[in-house]
Parts: sequence; C-alpha cells; structure tokens
Amino acid sequence: MTTTDRKITNVLIVGVGGQGVIMVSKVLALLCQRQGFEVKQSEVHGMAKRGGAVFSHVRFGSAVHSPTIPEGEADVLVALEWAEGMRWLEQLNPETGTFISDTHKIVPPFACRNRSENQAEVYSRETPAEIIGKVAQGYALDASGIATELGNERVANTILLGILSTVFDFDEDTWTNIIAKFVPKHSIDLNKTAFLTGRNWVKTATIPDVIAPIESVTSSQTQTYSNKLEFTPQWCKGCDICVRMCPEHCLELNAEQVVIIPRPNDCTGCRICEWLCPDYAIKLHKTALGTFPQGADSSEIKLDAG
Amino acid sequence: MSNQQHISAEEFDVRDYMRLELFPHFLCPGCGHGMALRAMMWALYENNISMDKLAVVCGIGCSGRLGAYIDSNTFHTTHGRPLAFATGLALARPDLHVVVITGDGDCLAIGGNHLIHACRRNVNMTCLMLNNEVYGMTGGQVSPTTSKDRYTTTTPYGNREPVFDACKLAEAAGAGFVGREVTMQVPTLKDLIKQAFDYNGFSFVEIISDCTEVFGRKNQLGESAEMILSQKAGTRPDSYGNKVDEPFHPNALKTGVLAMTGRPEYRAHMQPFKKEG
Repeated sequence: MTTTDRKITNVLIVGVGGQGVIMVSKVLALLCQRQGFEVKQSEVHGMAKRGGAVFSHVRFGSAVHSPTIPEGEADVLVALEWAEGMRWLEQLNPETGTFISDTHKIVPPFACRNRSENQAEVYSRETPAEIIGKVAQGYALDASGIATELGNERVANTILLGILSTVFDFDEDTWTNIIAKFVPKHSIDLNKTAFLTGRNWVKTATIPDVIAPIESVTSSQTQTYSNKLEFTPQWCKGCDICVRMCPEHCLELNAEQVVIIPRPNDCTGCRICEWLCPDYAIKLHKTALGTFPQGADSSEIKLDAG
Repeated sequence: MSNQQHISAEEFDVRDYMRLELFPHFLCPGCGHGMALRAMMWALYENNISMDKLAVVCGIGCSGRLGAYIDSNTFHTTHGRPLAFATGLALARPDLHVVVITGDGDCLAIGGNHLIHACRRNVNMTCLMLNNEVYGMTGGQVSPTTSKDRYTTTTPYGNREPVFDACKLAEAAGAGFVGREVTMQVPTLKDLIKQAFDYNGFSFVEIISDCTEVFGRKNQLGESAEMILSQKAGTRPDSYGNKVDEPFHPNALKTGVLAMTGRPEYRAHMQPFKKEG
C-alpha cells in the first residue's frame, strides 16, 4: 500500500496496559508529521495499572478532520496482544486491511471464571491460521518470545513496529531516528535491533502462511481433584467466618450453629475456610483424580452451556 | 500459588502440632488468635523447625494462653515479662528456637519496658505481638493500642488517648526486623513469620487480630467476618509499589516487612567477654 493512493490512512493500535501502545502510535504520528502529513491521534489509556485495554487511533493524510477511525475502515490493525486483536478485528477494512499481531497471550482475570483447580481459561479460541485466512493481509508472530531472546520482553512493540514499517514507504533511517527519540537512552540500540528484526522478519516470512502457534498456558491435560472437607463439629463455635468468606458459598451453619457443607460439589479447594477457621475445625483433603484431556471434563462443558 | 506451596498447604495439618486433648480451645468464636497461631505453626513447619528445638514463651492474656495448645516446650510467664524470660532462655540455650507470643497489653503496657530493652539488645528470638486493641481476658479494658474514640469498659465516653504504634516503637528501639500483618492473610502472614524466624536477631511482628466479643460488639464493628475484612481494608502492603495511591489511603497501616537492619546480634557483642572469662 502506498500512502498517496488514498486520502487518509488509518492505523489502529491496540493492546493491554504497559505494552507500549502509546509509544508505537507516537512514533508513527511524529514520523508522518515529519513527512508533511496532517496527523490526528486519539487514544484511551490509563488502564496500564490494571492491565486493561488500551487503544490508539492514528490517522494521517493531506487533510484529516476527525481523530477517530470510522468502523471497518482501519487500514492497519496492530495488536500487541492476541485477544485484543480479536476484539478490534471488526474495525479492520475487510478488503484491504492489514492485520499485525503478537500471538503472546495475556490472560485477563475474568477469563478464569471457573475457579476449580487447573481449569481451562475462556480465552480467544481463534488460531492465527484462521484469522490470517480471513483478512486481506496478515502477520502473526510471537513478538514477545523474539523480544525475550533479544534480551528484553518490553521491545515486543518495537518488533511489531518494524512489521508495521513495511506497510508504508518510509525508509529505514527515518523510522530508527524517530524511535530513538521515544525510548530510553540505554535501550536505543536494543530497540533498533528489535525494529530491524521485525522489518526483516516480513521479508523472510511467506505470507499468509505464517503461523506462529499460540503457546498454551495450561497443558493439554487437565488435572482434576476431589476436594473433601473434613469437619470436627465438636470444635466449631459457629463464628460464621468460613460461611461468609467462602467464595463459592457452599458452606452453611446448621440449627446447632455448626458448619456443614450442603453443596460439596461447588467446592474448588481454595482452602480459605481451612486457613481462616480459628478453631481448626476444617481440614481440606485434596486428592488428584487423574488427568483428562482439556475440554473433556464436565465443568468445562457446563461453562460453555452457561 | 506455586506447586510447592500447594504441597505445603496439603501436607501441613495444624492439628499435628497441637495438644488435642485440650481442644476445643478457650478462645471466643471468631477470635483471630487462632489464625495467627496457625500461621505461626505453618511457618515452623515450612522452616523445618523441630518441636523439640522450639521454646514458646507466653505472657498473660488471651494471647498468653495460646502457648498451652502448642505441643512443644512452652512457658507461661508473669504479666509483661515473657521477653525478659525469653532473653535469659535464648542466652542460656542458644540451640533452642525461641518464640515469644504476647499481646498488646502484655507487650506494650506492663511489658513496654522489657520490649524496648529486648529490641535494644537484639537477642536472637522472634516476638509475635497479637494486637486486638483491648484487654480481652479481663473484660475489655482500654489498652495502649485501642483506636481513638473506641468504647471499652474503662472508656465509656470513647478513648481519648493517642494510639501506640508498636512497629515504630520497636524500630526506633533498635529491633532488627519489624513486620506487620493482619490475621486474615494467613499465607502472607506465614511468609512474614518465616522471614522473622530466619532473621538472626530480635524480630518483632505485629499481628492485627480481632476481638469480637468484648471489643467488636461494644463498638458495633460487626461479626468476626466483617472485622477481619475491615482490618484487611485498613492496611496497605508496604511493598505495594503504588506510591501514587498513598494519598487516597491516608489512614492505612503499612503491612509487610517494615524494617530490616543488619545490626549485630547480642552474642556478637558478648563474644570478647566470653573469651576472657
């Protein structure tokens, strides 16, 4: 794609907090400004502390009037995290859009709703092959892994910036000079290496057959446990701590103010009741039942149905 | 939790280290002292300290009675003097692992003098101060750590005295290791006590406990579940790293390791005299 054949070029950069979304967009914005384009940039940030979603719109062209990209008109979508890329995929122009993503997973807490031991998280199930087949042009690589090999995981965004640079016609020195303005002095060399790694990765990669496998956080086998609570009723004083603190609400006090477990199957074995019992009346016995292939155990099926 | 911690949590059973014939213990329903004792025993278990090499010295009060339930060498001393007793014990028997369990009244009011001198001498022992803000066993009298405007049997119009910060006192008096944690965070408390056990010198840990029966009820602080939750909400870990948050929690107590110095232990001072003698 050349930057002259359309009036406005839209680049959407997404990720989670702390990955450098804003840095990538600032580099791109300043570079386009130096090239004589009118640039407008709009972002949502401040989620960095909570690991929340961060995105940045960069628009440049001969004249730009609005800072936000109309839906489905992004020319390039740069995702610094895989699931965030999936979330914003609708914004990408389906005919001409370029999709660039890191396949590294950052699993948000609400993707782990099943609190039982070693349960599979509810994360994006799309594989890079599927997505790259859908979009006009797609690159998916384990940028975080490559960055770790280079010496610092934090330069993953610069690797993706290197891939982004191949979409436009600006030359290499222009990019590296701008990058040097935005990174700490001690990491300028590392960022230049990362940038060139990304830029050269595209030349060697065959498109769109590039498939970087998503490394699985959990193993393909799920270990299941049986959680049995042992009570010593004559020690229980009915202080109600375990009943109130149980995250699954599976404990109760009976008529004699002694703890019972009416819903033993809800117990996930988190041990909070055992630890917080001041009278040592609760002991959890957790025994491994064996392994099942992931997705085959009942709790996973229940989760999908719900 | 890492796998190793899972195994530790599964294998550790606090009942293995207790005098079960005395159970159920005398503490009121919902008393935080039980959780603190569990954390201490768990720390002993994870540090592989044998019950034969452990010496627990207790004072007077609810906290002082905890020693009776530990199946080990335990001493029930006079009011306020467990630290003095433990200093002699630690010097005479350096092979023993000396732990002092004391309360806020025991340690800061009647035993306050012994505390500052124990901190000053820096003898190798661990002092666990269970702070429940009240003299619970004698019926709920005001203690040096009772918060301002709290009602007790001796402050019917609310407590007007300023509060003692035991950790600052211990740090200023020269304790090598100072830490604070709430009882609700049992695994975190266990890790803190483990660090205190590992420290060579006087280590002081303030454990914020709850007294539901004579303090919480009088001040309408709710049942024990609410009390421990509000205690947790009122503290911020010192290692939290978010300095920007501090203005939003002006009254939060710092928890975690508050001070750790490399002061020489007492026996290092005494080594030259030992050679002459």
